[in-house]
Order: sequence, then C-alpha cells, then structure tokens
Amino acid sequence: MNEELEKLRGDKKLPASMMFKRAFPYFKPELGWIILALLIVLLNVIFAAVSPLIIQDFVDHLKQDPTVIVGKGMMPIISFAIGYLVINISNQIFLYFESMILQKSAQRVVYRVRLEVFEHIESMSLDQFSEMPVGSLVTRVANYTSAMSDFFTSTLVSLLRNFLSVVTVYAIMLYLSWQLSLVLAGFVVFVIVASVIFTKVSAKLFRKERAQLSDFNAYLNESLSGMKITQLFNREAHKRDDFEKRNGALWKTRYTLIMTFGIYRPIINLILYLSIVVIFLYGVQVSLTAGTIVAFYLYVDRFYSPIQEMADQFRRVQRAFTACERLFNLLDVKPTTTDLPDAKEIDHFDGKIEFKNVWFAYEGENWVLKDVSFVIDKGQTCAFVGATGAGKTTILSLIVRNYTPQKGQIFIDDIDISTIKVESLRKAIGQMLQDVFLFSGNIRDNVTLFDESFSEEDINQAITYVNADKFIDKLDNKLDYAVVERGENFSQGQRQLLSFARTIIHKPQILVLDEATANIDTETEVLIQDSLDKMKSIGTMLIVAHRLSTIQKADLIICLQNGVIVEGGTHQSLLKNKGYYYNLYKLQFKDQ
Amino acid sequence: MIFSKVINRYYKRFAFFFIVGILALVAVDWLQLYIPENLGNIVRVLVENYDKDSVWPQIVEISIRVLIIAGGCFLGRIIWRVTLFYASTKIEADLRSRMFEKAERLSLDFYQANKIGTVLAWFTNDTETVEEFIGWGTLMLVDGIFLTILVLFKMILLDWFVTVLIAIPVVLIVIWGLLVEKYMSMKWDNRQNAFDKLYDFSQESFAGIRVIKAFVKETQQLHQFAKIARHNKDVEVDFARVSILFDVAIETIIAVVFSTLIGLGGYFVYLCISGETLIILGHEVNMDAAELIEFVAYFSTLIWPLIALGQVITMRSKAKASLERIGRYLNTEETIKNVPNAKVLENVKGGIVFNHFTFKYPGTTYDSLEDISLEIKPGETIGIVGRIGSGKSTLVNSLARLYNVDNKAIFIDGIDIMKADVTSLRKQLAYVPQDNFLFSETIRDNIAFSGVDSNDETIKDAAKFACVDDDIEHFPRKYDTILGERGVTLSGGQKQRVSIARAFLKDAPILIFDDSVSAVDVKTEETILSNIKRVRRGRTTLVVASRVSTVQGLDKVIVLNEGRLEAFDSPNKLYLTSPTFKKMVDLQRLEKEEGSL
Repeated sequence: MNEELEKLRGDKKLPASMMFKRAFPYFKPELGWIILALLIVLLNVIFAAVSPLIIQDFVDHLKQDPTVIVGKGMMPIISFAIGYLVINISNQIFLYFESMILQKSAQRVVYRVRLEVFEHIESMSLDQFSEMPVGSLVTRVANYTSAMSDFFTSTLVSLLRNFLSVVTVYAIMLYLSWQLSLVLAGFVVFVIVASVIFTKVSAKLFRKERAQLSDFNAYLNESLSGMKITQLFNREAHKRDDFEKRNGALWKTRYTLIMTFGIYRPIINLILYLSIVVIFLYGVQVSLTAGTIVAFYLYVDRFYSPIQEMADQFRRVQRAFTACERLFNLLDVKPTTTDLPDAKEIDHFDGKIEFKNVWFAYEGENWVLKDVSFVIDKGQTCAFVGATGAGKTTILSLIVRNYTPQKGQIFIDDIDISTIKVESLRKAIGQMLQDVFLFSGNIRDNVTLFDESFSEEDINQAITYVNADKFIDKLDNKLDYAVVERGENFSQGQRQLLSFARTIIHKPQILVLDEATANIDTETEVLIQDSLDKMKSIGTMLIVAHRLSTIQKADLIICLQNGVIVEGGTHQSLLKNKGYYYNLYKLQFKDQ
Repeated sequence: MIFSKVINRYYKRFAFFFIVGILALVAVDWLQLYIPENLGNIVRVLVENYDKDSVWPQIVEISIRVLIIAGGCFLGRIIWRVTLFYASTKIEADLRSRMFEKAERLSLDFYQANKIGTVLAWFTNDTETVEEFIGWGTLMLVDGIFLTILVLFKMILLDWFVTVLIAIPVVLIVIWGLLVEKYMSMKWDNRQNAFDKLYDFSQESFAGIRVIKAFVKETQQLHQFAKIARHNKDVEVDFARVSILFDVAIETIIAVVFSTLIGLGGYFVYLCISGETLIILGHEVNMDAAELIEFVAYFSTLIWPLIALGQVITMRSKAKASLERIGRYLNTEETIKNVPNAKVLENVKGGIVFNHFTFKYPGTTYDSLEDISLEIKPGETIGIVGRIGSGKSTLVNSLARLYNVDNKAIFIDGIDIMKADVTSLRKQLAYVPQDNFLFSETIRDNIAFSGVDSNDETIKDAAKFACVDDDIEHFPRKYDTILGERGVTLSGGQKQRVSIARAFLKDAPILIFDDSVSAVDVKTEETILSNIKRVRRGRTTLVVASRVSTVQGLDKVIVLNEGRLEAFDSPNKLYLTSPTFKKMVDLQRLEKEEGSL
C-alpha cells in the first residue's frame, strides 16, 4: 500500500537508463524525423562556421595591395556578397525545416502520451483517485507530457549540437597549440566547478520553487472556490494574510534563484576574459606566433558559449526527468479493479442479487462489512438502514465493483460479478450518488452526459419523469440553460433532480439510490417514486436513505449495525419484531 | 517598457531600481565595446613588432586594462540583474496581492460567470508574462536601443550615407515586427485557449470521474479528449511555425543587408582604389578598405541588438495581452459594496422584515421571489419550506447580501440591509450553506474559521452542538485531522455537521441553516434540532428544510410556492391555511399510516 502511494505521488526515483528505456517507445515512430533533423543540424553547424570565414576572406581580400584588388576586378567582391547571401539564406531555410520537423515530432509525441495518460487515469480505481488531488493529475496530462517530449526532441538535439561544437572547437585549438589548449583546459575546470555548484544550488531552488508554486496554486484555487464562505464569515483579512505568506515565500525563492543566476553568469564571463588574457600572456611567454595566438583568441568565445548553454539546458533536463519519473510512476499504478481475461459480457440482467459471506475493509483489518450475506430476488426493492458508518454505501459500491471484497462472493443472476466485465455491469446498474456532480455545459449535456444518441423526446421524458420540467421550463433557454462549474448555479435539490434524470435516461436494469432524495421535498419525491414504479426497465432497486418514509414500501429492508446485518424483512414484519428498526421508526414518527 | 494604468505606478515606486539597473546595463554595454578594442591593440602590437622582450611590458599593461574592464563588467552585470529583476519580481508579487484583494471584493455573480481555472491563469501565467517582459524585456530593449544608437553613431562619423543604408534593416525589422505583432498575438491566444480547454476538460473529467465510471462513459470521454488534444497539437505547430518564420525573417533581413554591404561597399572601395569618384544624392562616396572593414565589424556588433529588438516586439505583444486581461479583471465592477455613510450594524436583536421583496438572479428573466412581505421577530426560530425551486435558499441568501436586493426591501432591526455596512451585516449572520465547502485545513481550523475567540473547549462544544464530536473523536488524529480537497475525507453528513459547528461557533444574532441536515440520519437531525431550540433560545434562527418533519417543532414556518409567500404561521395553523403545507404533511402522514397498518 505504501509503495503504491509512493508511486501515485510520483516520488519514486527511477534510474536515468530506465527513463530512456521507457521513453524510447514513444519516440520510436519519430526516430526517422529526429535523425533527419540531426543531419540538418550538422549542415547548420557547418554553414554557421563557414559564414565568418567568408567575412574573413573578404577582409583579407581588401587588405591586399590596391593594385591587386583593381586587377581582380569586381568579380571576387560580387562572389563574396552572393556567397554570403546564399549560405545565410539557405542556413535559415535549413533552420526553419529543422525546427518544424522537431516541433511536429514533439507535438505528435505529446499527443500520443497525453492520450495514453488520460486513458490510464480514467482506468484507475476510485480508491486510487481519492489518494490524488485532481490538480496533480491534470498537471500530468497537460504539463508533464510536453516537458517530456521537449526533452527528447529539442533539448536533446541542442545538447548534442553544443557538445559537437565544444569537441570540434577544442580539437581545432589542440591542433593550433597544445600548450594553450592545456591552459584553457585549466580554466574549463573552473567553469565546470562553478557550473556544478551552480546547478546543484539552482536545482534545489527550482525544486523549492515548484513545490511553493503548486502550494500557491492549490491555495489560490481553494480560496477562489470557497470565496463565498470567506465573505460570509468576514475572513477576508485572515485569508489575505495566508495568501501574502505564500506569495512572499514564492517571491523570495524566485529572487534567490535570480541572484544565483546573477552571480553565475558574470562569473563565467569573468573566467572567459581571464582566460583570454592568460592566453595572450602565456602565448607570448612560450613564443607562439602572432597568428596562432590571434586564431586561438578567436576560438575561445566559441568554446565557452556552448558550455554555458549546456549548463542552462541542464535545468530542462532535470525538469524533463522529473516529468518522466512522475508520468511513468503514474502509468505504473495498476487499477485494482480489472476484468479477468475471460470476463463475460452480459446484456441483460434479471436483477437477482446475492451477497455470500462478504468481508470488506478499505484498509487492513478495519472490517467495514463482516460476513454479510443476503439475497434480493429479481424485481424487488431493497432498502438498507443503519447509522452513519454502518456499511450501507459500501454494499452499494461493492455491487458496481468500485471495490472488491477481501472475502466472500457477490452474485447477480447467480453469476459471480468478478467474472463479469465491469463495463457491462456498470451499464446495467444505474447509480444515483450522494454528492451530485454536474459538468459545465448545459442541462441537456448533463442529462445525456454528452451522448448525442439521445433524442429530444428521450430527454424531455426523463426530465418530466423526475419532475425537473417544472423548474427547467422557467429558464430562458430551457434545456440549453448554462450549467456553471460543478453546477453551482443550481440548488442542491435541483442538482439531485438532474442527476435523477441522467440516471433514468440511461435505462438502468438495476437502480441504486444512495441518499438520492435528501434535498428533494416530499411532494416531488412521491412523484418521482410513482414514475419509477411505472418504469418497466428497472428490475431491482437498492435504496439507502435516512428517512424511513422513503423506504417503508420496500420489499426487503436490511438493517446494518457496524458492518453486521442485525435484522431483515418487510416493514411490517420488522415492526412486529420490535427490534432495531422498530426503535428507529418510533423515533422518527414520535411527534406525529 | 510597457505602460498601462495597472502598472504605471510601479515605475515610480521602483524608479531607483530601474534607473540603477538601466545605468548598469548601459555601462556594461559601453565597457564591453572597449574589450575588443584593447585586445585588438595587443594583436596589433604582436603583428607589428613581435619581439618577446620589447612587447612584454606593453602587453602586460593592456592585459591589466582588460582585466579592470572585465571586473567592471562583472560588477555591472551583477548590479543590473539584482536591481532590474528585483523590480520585476516585486511587481509580479504586488500584482498578485492586488488581484487577490480584488478577488475578495468580487461577489458571487463574478464567480458564477468565470471559471476558477481561468481566473487562476490570470493570477499565475499572466503575471509571469508581465514579469518576464518587465525584466528581460527591459534588458533587451535597453541593450537593443543603446547598442544600436552607439554603433549607428560611430558609423555616421565614418560615413553617413552607408550608415543610412545600414539603418534600413533596423527600420525594416521594426516595421516587420509591428506588422506581425497582431497576427502573432492572435496565434498565441489560439494556443493559450486550446491549452486552457485541454486543462479544463481534464480537470472536469477527473473531478467527475465517479459519474463517468458509473455511466461507463470512459471511451466517450477519451474520444472527446483526443479531439481536444489533436486540436492542441495543430495549434501548437501553427504557433511554432509563425514564431520560427518571424525569427527566420529577421535573420534573413540581416543577411540581405550584410551581403549588400559586402557587395556595395566592395564596389565603393573598388571605385575609390581605381581613382573614380561616385556621387550619390550630392554626397561623394569615398571609402577605403580600412573603413569598410570597420563598417563590417560594426555591423557584426549590430546583429545581437537587432535580434533582441525583434524578440522584444514578440514578448511585448504577449505581455500586452496579459496586462489587458489583468487590467480588465482589476477593473471588474464590484457589485456588492457599501453605500456612502453605510450604517454599521452592532449587537442586533435579530428582527427581520421583508417588505414587498422581489428578486431576480442576474442573467435570468423570471422572478425567483415575488412580493414577499413578512416580519420575523427577534429570537424566533423560523422554518422555511416549499418545493424544489420555490425560492427557499434565495430568501435566506438575500439576507447576507450575496447579491444586491432592492432598496427598502429587507430590514434587519429596522435598518435597510442595502444601507448597512456589508461586513457588519455579515457579522450578524452565521450561515450553514447547502454545499458545505470546507477548507483543506484541520477540522479544528475549519470549525474555528470565523475567527472568534475560541479554544479547544469551545470548539468541542460546537462540534457537540452539531453532533459531530463523536465522529471526530473516532479519527486517529481527532481534531487535527487534515481534510482533503473540498473536505473529501469526510462523508456528506459529516461535512454538513462540521459546517454546522463552524456556523454555531460564530455565535451570531442570526443563524441560518440552508437545508443543512439533509445528509444526516434522523436521530442526529432530531438532536441537532433540539440543540438549536435549547441553545439558540432568544436568538433568531432560520431553518430551510425539504421536509415538514424538520420544521414541525419550530415557532413559525414560511411556506413558499413558486416564489410567492403562501403562508407564514405556526406549524399547527398552517395545516389549515396553506395548501402546500397541508399536502406535505398529508403525504408524510399517509406514508406513516400506510406503514403502521
């Protein structure tokens, strides 16, 4: 369990080799393009090296004796101009193609990874969902995917480009003078030491910044969502203080980061100038020719700038590694509820439901259900009664396989539900949940859940069945009336009605109602009840409700206490028993 | 530099940092030009007369000069980073503070019209874009302009005609940038919108995963997501193409001018050497090889500032768009605010009067409440019932001024709430909302949210009042249990009760329950109602309910029907006077009779 959690949070370290191995398949289809881009990069490097040479030659040409220049005529000049133009423009064209090839490949990779991650997240089980804040899942789909693909395309290519430049330039310098190259190597040690220290410090700061930023975002998100509460309780000043603390901390980290850069960059620059001066002094001391010293000096800058760029890119490498780590860790989370290889597809259920010695715990040995057994015949309505935490909701979530019991079996129509495809099981069972979730869009979308195969008539029938037509008719655009985020422009009762309509339109064969009518008034509830009775498609109905009035018509009432069934039967028989149910009933109706 | 009402004040506030930073930047630029010059001198010394012993002192002297200049650059570079970025990050942080303050002054209508994700993006992405432009943008602009002017000036001294020739790309790049700016920002917006859509869609899909799983809509969601992701891909490529083309175009302009300089300059030199004179526009062009070499060298130093100028234009268009969004947000009209000389409510007794109160939600066309007139006496416990959509919540919400109401429509202790100071008004109310929003803090902090003086004992008392103390004591960390996002660690009923405890602890003259015991079991509801009657005696309490059973024991009950007041009386009398109430009671009684047969 703990390891699983670690995976979810994505903190499990993966070795770099593993990361490459796992990332490779995503880039394999793009390999051809990436290699093509690399070839163009080579041309780029060559052309970029040639261009200053042309200028050099041009200058040399002008430095010749005037009579020689006049003697050669305009031709050399024109060819210098055209040569320069052609090389630079073709270089730009190459640059364009190279960048576009990389961009397109990168975006295709992002697209594929996003689909896979999204699909994977959707397949995770509900208990895994509650372990992970929605925001961090979204970041994985939206941001980490592009960080990963950026790395394997542009960052890797430019790292390679810089590395090539450093090697080529150093080779040329070695050829010019091994003594000066050695001196330069001494400075490179300084540069590397400075860069390593800087990278270490900045990496730590970047991590801190990211953590603070996500804390800041989470805080802001919650504050904005809960602004109504803050205003009602006059707690604006208190919230503002909290906000300022986070805002200030974030600023401090960012500024420290900038200071770190602000010292590192000038230091590298200073080392560059120092090494140039030393090269001149040392060059003269060991009596190198002027030409060699000058050429060497011209190359020093071209040697330093790719090194510095590589240090900059290190940050992107780190970010990409974190992104990969988190993505792969997420993809490693195996859903706890999966279909068996030979799972059955079932179209129609009669609706007989049986629990056989079911034991279930969300965690360890904290049994929420202890040896629960019961049978509900097809066509029956069964109600579960009991105090908070008695296990009513748990029973319902086991039937739709949101969780799997540790011991015992559950049968529908005498088939063990663990051998049925989850999809066909859930399609047949209509669930009305305690917390209604509405999507932003309009009323129609929320009833059909964006399924366009439902006709206008289906929708109207469903909303009439649940009596939602009364309030919808008053709205300007009726079914097209906008629903804001989480349905916050509707009252709790209205949301429940819409959720009811949503369930009914999907024609369930078994209906599960978990406190589905808590905020619905008695009159409307009775009307809904009548509609449900009329609906032929519904075989079996399972109800959890606190109000006994809602459940007393049930064919079977099961009373639960601390995960154990204490009694079961019809309303009448239970009243005669004078047991748990009788006491509950007396309490509820005592003053009428 | 970018100007807008939103940020102009910062230029004044951080003037010192801007001035020091820009001066340091200019100093570095200026010093830097001397390094190649000095190194050039070394080269000249070496080339002219290479005798190790005689050139040595000269070289040492120049080296020391170079090192001093390098040291100056080192300091200058540190100074401009530390000052300019101090200003830019401080501005970013201050913008965020102002935006948060604004968020606290905006009311419910704003939050219903805007998605939280969108507002969040203004707070983070847009402020970052602005910060980046103020920091890096200033650097590039100063560098670009200063170096360009410096180099152009030196070139004019050499030959004004050729300088004019070289000034062409500067003008072209600026024109090109201005032309493309609009198009670029459009493409940038497209990209941003596509990304927002992807973000929002994932956010909703994961938040509503229970529904998606319950209705087996995973495949359908995936298809929808694929469509959005594909669009994202296309728009990203589209934007990349435009911005790459932009850079390519700038480099191409530079290449064209450079080769023109080589060709034309070479031609001038050729003519000069051949002894011919060329007169263009009355100007005698007279250029020798050395001059042209110098020109070429100057032009090379112009390339970086020119590219920087191009980039500044792109950055600026993004920053401008961000700043506009921030500005629009900061200027959003605040709908709920105090009237001049608003009355501060203090120690109210809790009498409430509705006087022909009619209410329509912003953006709707029908009245949610119509012509409600009634009087609640201080200390009464009032129930409010009615069918779904009859306006129960609207009635109680209007007391807290979550929306504006008509003048002289609602009075508390005889004072029109529209004339009352909003903060003082809300201080008089404790409210248990329908959707029990809890913060991801400890249970203790959630209950003590109102900020009144509290200790472990009073917090526990409040929890006992709300019948949630037992539940909390069962958690391993008890009152220190930290709740998840929106309180997900608690069940619906527990959330409601923590929310009741939070309101109770506030101990306000008027306590409002908006259908807040719906998810608790009957026994608990019973206890909470009797607690209300016992503890809240003598203080006004309003209880919205879906069932008549909840309000049966209260002093009086308001019955709403389709937004109108049907009856307001004691529960016993209502059975005779209110058809809606009678029906609700009958239905409940019918069930009871059926049941007990």
